[in-house]
Amino acid sequence: MTLFVYLLSSGLTSGALYALVAVGLVLCYRTTGHINFAHSELFMLGGFIAFTFHVLWGLPYIPSLLLAVIAGFLLGVLTDRAVYRPLIKAPPLTMVLATVGFSFLLKGIGRYFWGGQGEVVPFPPLASPAPVLIGTIPVFPQQIAVLSGALFCMALLTLFFRYTRAGKTMQATAEDVRASFLVGIRVERVYTLTWGTGAALAAVAAVLMAPLTLLTPDVGFILLLKAFAATILGGLGSMPGAVVGGFLVGIMEAFAGGYIASSFQDVSAFAIIMLVLVFRPTGLFGVKGGREA
Amino acid sequence: MSRLLRPAVAGRALLLVGFLAFLIAPALANPYQIYIANLMLIYILLAVALNVLIGFAGQLAFANGALFGIGAYATGLLRLDAGWPLWAALPVGTVITTAAGVVVALPALRLRGLYLALATVAFAQFSLWVFVHWDGLTHGVAGFVLPRLNFSPLPATPIQGLYYVSLAVTVVGLWLAWNLVRSRVGRALVALRESEVAAEALAIDITRYKTIAYGVSALYAGAGGGLFACLLGVVVPEQFNLFAIVVQFCIVIVGGIGTVWGAVFGAMLLIWLQEALRGLQEVQEVGFGGLLLLTLLVFPGGLAEALRRLAPAWREPLRRTEGDQERSALEAEENRHGSGTAR
Repeated sequence: MTLFVYLLSSGLTSGALYALVAVGLVLCYRTTGHINFAHSELFMLGGFIAFTFHVLWGLPYIPSLLLAVIAGFLLGVLTDRAVYRPLIKAPPLTMVLATVGFSFLLKGIGRYFWGGQGEVVPFPPLASPAPVLIGTIPVFPQQIAVLSGALFCMALLTLFFRYTRAGKTMQATAEDVRASFLVGIRVERVYTLTWGTGAALAAVAAVLMAPLTLLTPDVGFILLLKAFAATILGGLGSMPGAVVGGFLVGIMEAFAGGYIASSFQDVSAFAIIMLVLVFRPTGLFGVKGGREA
Repeated sequence: MSRLLRPAVAGRALLLVGFLAFLIAPALANPYQIYIANLMLIYILLAVALNVLIGFAGQLAFANGALFGIGAYATGLLRLDAGWPLWAALPVGTVITTAAGVVVALPALRLRGLYLALATVAFAQFSLWVFVHWDGLTHGVAGFVLPRLNFSPLPATPIQGLYYVSLAVTVVGLWLAWNLVRSRVGRALVALRESEVAAEALAIDITRYKTIAYGVSALYAGAGGGLFACLLGVVVPEQFNLFAIVVQFCIVIVGGIGTVWGAVFGAMLLIWLQEALRGLQEVQEVGFGGLLLLTLLVFPGGLAEALRRLAPAWREPLRRTEGDQERSALEAEENRHGSGTAR
């Protein structure tokens, strides 16, 4: 029972992070029709920027987080300007290869500044690392921080979409670019905002995750694969699907790691992607036009 | 003189000079230079194969890095654990890789675009995981060291011997690929790249030709992987991570997507670059990633397009040239005007 609860709580925690990264990915996909393979490196750089502010320069955690989010937003805007905008009319194959190239460019930059020889960078936890007992169940404070931080971001995003003008224009653009343009929405600004918001979400996820695991320049790609699994499981293009998919992937891999063998934790995400794509390409939430995109 | 300047003749003469340069290189070069030339030959093979899949058939698959690894593991393990000689291990390893490639192709046939890319990324990472965790077969994360090659009845050192094997395989591979893309198969692949619906309407069996494209690329990746394992003498999982496929993508794009000779020049240039940046992982990542992005942004035609501008008579089969594009734009314009006046 203890093992079950332990696995469930760690699965929910990592699931919340996957969901956050996946939501950023889906946000860009819905608006622009492209998957950003450099999303992983935006995540990684967000984490390292927070590390620089928090650990190297001694700023408190919350201001570091906010600064990292702002930096993440700017990196997203850079992605828009450097990769997406110049290739906006190019075929999807070109765009995927361009974002792959951009991702390795960023990864190399990250490795140059923070990499070293395969060393990992510890990130001090937000709260005390000792578990606290809730009832009879031990819970790590950092896990609660991650979970509540992720849920807070998702709630904020929902409010943003529902009540702000910018959020509504983003949804309209995702629905139909031509019609949005015709009713006077400045579509190109919406693109910039979308890439920025997606990257900012990745930065939040990175700052929340950093104290739990460790930062390396290769951390982004691992997380991106989990986010891919989450989006595929939820149905590529579905926002609620990405959230549910993220939590499911987190819980499934925690259970696979705990009950089968620890090495199965790493592989479950790839297995989920391949199985879902072969047997139910539309995902759990049945997005139409699956397989093509 | 004037006959020599005719494009077809000049092209063939250049080809012959290049081939002869590769043929006599071992007599003139030191072992390190032979090693680099050998690596270039292997990457030519890989890039040509990848170009058939993504350039001609238009299938954006990330599986080739993993298939390259499967080829290296298959040939390496047959030599190390089964004790087979090179002449048996390399063909069988290649066949195993081709079989793996076709097995990957079966589900991949149903997927397109981003879904295909994501599924094959997952497959590549899955293969890497298998290389690391199937200790009993693959020797785990530490990999394995291969025994030295021995060409004893022949008067060749192991380095020279392997070089000539690579040269033979690459020349045959290039010849086959060149004929393949100019044949019915090449035309079918380009047709299904441009539009699967239109290709199907022309009675092109999409499943069959896609399987051929996957099979050919796996065949070459397998042979390339086997030669790579023998050349380096060590096989570790890390050699076949995502960066391996990024290097191959970069060669294909910088060389010129959808061309055969572009892949050849791209491989030679970028392998040279990789050796120049040896040991500096971050510089390699910035270099290859940046080059990939920059080529797509600034000069999407790559080296093949540059070559075509320098020597306008250079022809790649089934390549949409700028002239064609202008012509079709002109036709479209005329049609618009035509319909305008009719109304």
